[in-house]
Amino acid sequence: MDKLRLFAGIILFGSIWGFAECIIGQGFDNLGIHSGTIMTGFFAVGLMMMSRVFYKQRGMQLGMGLVAGTLRFFNPFGGCVICSAIAIAAEGAIFELIWYKLSLDLKELKTNPMKLSMGVISAYCCFVGGYIVTQILTPLTSAAGFYFQNLVVFMPQILSRGLLAALIGGVTVPAVLVLRNIDITSIKDKIYYPVTAVVTLLCWTTVIATRILVMGI
Amino acid sequence: MGKEKIIPIIAIAILLIGTFSSIYVYATQVNTDTISINGESYTVDDIFSIAEPRSFESLNFSGVALDDLILKTYNDCASCHEYTITGEDGYQKTVTWNDMKNGLLTKDGRAVFSDLPKAFRIRDVVKIEAV
Repeated sequence: MDKLRLFAGIILFGSIWGFAECIIGQGFDNLGIHSGTIMTGFFAVGLMMMSRVFYKQRGMQLGMGLVAGTLRFFNPFGGCVICSAIAIAAEGAIFELIWYKLSLDLKELKTNPMKLSMGVISAYCCFVGGYIVTQILTPLTSAAGFYFQNLVVFMPQILSRGLLAALIGGVTVPAVLVLRNIDITSIKDKIYYPVTAVVTLLCWTTVIATRILVMGI
Repeated sequence: MGKEKIIPIIAIAILLIGTFSSIYVYATQVNTDTISINGESYTVDDIFSIAEPRSFESLNFSGVALDDLILKTYNDCASCHEYTITGEDGYQKTVTWNDMKNGLLTKDGRAVFSDLPKAFRIRDVVKIEAV
């Protein structure tokens, strides 16, 4: 695949993911719904799976995580900005590791149990892994430092919260795999690049404009 | 064993881990109206009558100063220790004495630090312990 086309895809899907984390995730939080599991099980795994199905390239999800994590830094809302950004980037890397050994045409995922299982594994590992990575790295960015005991004590909660993400992922991945026959390379350049540019720009301007409106900076 | 067998087994194992963790979390949940500070139990009203008030206007939080709370309740050298603050759900963070000087405890039991990331905000505090 053309590298420029792939790069545009990474920026596009990473931006949609970041936008979802910043705007839709906050919407869930405002409704009193714990957004973390939904964001991972549905949006993160769904978008990364979609990019895997459309582009059939390794490394793309890692890039998406970095783009989405960067966009999360611009978000004025929600909980810990740095924790979320770290967790998002980690989720991209973890997804990449999980799917590394699977073929790019995903021929292993023919049966429903296999599709469902990969959804469960991906969402659970991304959520739990992202949570653990951020619990380790976030304290290191401050003077307080990281204490292993604090993580160990909270592990049952993390493992428990991942269950909902796993169940959502078990539905998301089979649903996305319905789109596996879409061939992104068949889209003409004169349509592909303007569409990716406009959607990417919309995601970033919405998040940054929201920050300016809310925080005045 | 092929991927067709291993992957569903891993998925089932994950679902079992999640389920048993949820059962464990539910069974060990702590519900208390008091906060244990270095082994002594205090109600929120006790705490607010003991310690000096503190507010972070930019963060929109007010409560009592965590360092003052420790000074008034702890007979040992307060500044010689770090402090582990634990929430009702088991979430805990260990902070330095300098962080405690920039920390407060709100009326609804939330510990907030002005100089630390939001990950260090602990809801429904049940225990503060010198380590």
